[in-house]
Amino acid sequence: MKSEQNFGTRLLTIVKWFILLFFLLVALLPLVWLFINSFRSNLELQISSFGWPQKWLFSNYIKAMEMASLPRLFLNSVITSASAVALNIIVAAMAGFILSREFFKGRDTIYTVLTAGVLVPIIAFMVPYFSLISRSGIYNTLFALILVYASVNIPVSIFLVTSFMRSIPKELEEAAIIDGCSFTQRFTKIIFPLTQSGLVTAGTFCFIYSWNDFIMAMLLTSSIESRTIQLGIKFFSSQFITDYTTMFAAIILTIIPSVGAYMFLHNKIISGLTAGAVKG
Amino acid sequence: MPRLLFLLPVLVLFIGFFIYPFLFTLGTSLTRWRGIGSMQFNGLKNYTRLLADPTFRLAMKNNLIWALAQGFIQVPLAALVAMILLRQPKGWQTLRTVYFLPNVISTVAIAMMWTALYNVQYGFINEVLVKFFKREPINFLGNPDFALGAVIFQAVIYIGYFMIVILAAGMNIPRELYEAAEIDGASVFQQERYITIPMLRGTLVTTVTLAMAYGIRHFEATYLMTQGGPMHSTTTMGIDLYDKMDALRYSDASTEGVLLIIFGSVMIVVIRKIFGKSDPMSEMAQ
Repeated sequence: MKSEQNFGTRLLTIVKWFILLFFLLVALLPLVWLFINSFRSNLELQISSFGWPQKWLFSNYIKAMEMASLPRLFLNSVITSASAVALNIIVAAMAGFILSREFFKGRDTIYTVLTAGVLVPIIAFMVPYFSLISRSGIYNTLFALILVYASVNIPVSIFLVTSFMRSIPKELEEAAIIDGCSFTQRFTKIIFPLTQSGLVTAGTFCFIYSWNDFIMAMLLTSSIESRTIQLGIKFFSSQFITDYTTMFAAIILTIIPSVGAYMFLHNKIISGLTAGAVKG
Repeated sequence: MPRLLFLLPVLVLFIGFFIYPFLFTLGTSLTRWRGIGSMQFNGLKNYTRLLADPTFRLAMKNNLIWALAQGFIQVPLAALVAMILLRQPKGWQTLRTVYFLPNVISTVAIAMMWTALYNVQYGFINEVLVKFFKREPINFLGNPDFALGAVIFQAVIYIGYFMIVILAAGMNIPRELYEAAEIDGASVFQQERYITIPMLRGTLVTTVTLAMAYGIRHFEATYLMTQGGPMHSTTTMGIDLYDKMDALRYSDASTEGVLLIIFGSVMIVVIRKIFGKSDPMSEMAQ
């Protein structure tokens, strides 16, 4: 009986670690394979994709940088994502302030309609977005992408920011009103600073969406001046049609900023992303 | 009045990018329109034609397969790993961080990486097939029998996002429940079956709904890896919509957009009916 139980727990431990290791390999092995091969020559790759580089070819990275105008695309992505996040959280914070603090007819309806926007598959709107953006004369500009990214994330941000603001005690503002604080000051001096961690969560969602988006960038831009890095990887994959290992280097270069940021901020990112979900 | 000014920016953006596009899509789906020139009212003819279109039907079927694979393979795998990590084995925090790592990398980079892994000449997967299993190499993305499975596989094995959501919810289950069950002699499986799963019910329904919604909206990875081919075998409603728009068939594209919204909504209602309610607003993120 005792040995049977021992056998059972041991088997369970083996199965448990098998599962954990399997998903560890799934997460890491493809990236490691890509990384190592990005330093090898195309000939080496053709012979076998396993194995170390005979000589570590940093030249692949230099070639990738030159051919794909990566710095420009990278800068475009940074500008677009940062502006979209700023626009998104400012307008969401202002609206959240009203929706969590003021009483007026139709307030709950407005809140419900705004947050129900999460249920809409945005790809269904490709035609109207294209039509709206080109008729406004902002086709092929970073501004178009900023507007779209900030807007598409409104439902998520409104939900996160409003629920966060509701949890801030009203007494704080009542004290401030007695001290002669105006309506706008209540927002700028009290509510906005106190909502910081809610805004960071909303901003993280918006940033990840904006940085990683491919569809809208493909739909709304047409030249290098306003292309983002994601579009860049796709388009330079066709330039490197036979130079695979340089293409690998280019992919690695675009991954580095996200992975680097994640290494430093992983605890914040994970707890931020789950802050909204756990409420459900 | 300054109070309503605070609400104005959000209302303007929401009307511009949600309400107007919805009405525009609905409106143009009832017309004949090629992007320029006048629109002619066309009734429901676009709908009857699209519903009979074999490519659209295939796209619908593929979206359903995507939704089922994400909801009933990806989420259960994520839940399994989350349940193991909840028992806090050695190094569980590091494992959690690593499992989530691929989720911070863009879909584009992941898709390009898997295109390389599946490559016939130098791909890792074919090399394993040839060297260790002595099989002929398979052109995974170029063969209609394999392409859909290959694209779904590379998406479904990345469990990170759903895993951290389930894990975070699981952390709120009181430890005392497990201690009491332990004293009563409940096995690990019984503890998971009678404590963890019931306590996580709401979160699981939410994640399944979210995963299936992703399946219905699926576009990027497929577009990047196969463009919907070979022979439309991997197409989805999103890709078919884009193709129609690219061919200047704007009213057909709009019709497909309306159907996409309807199918997405119907699916969410059906999941609710089957599995019960979850907080709809925690089903966020596009």
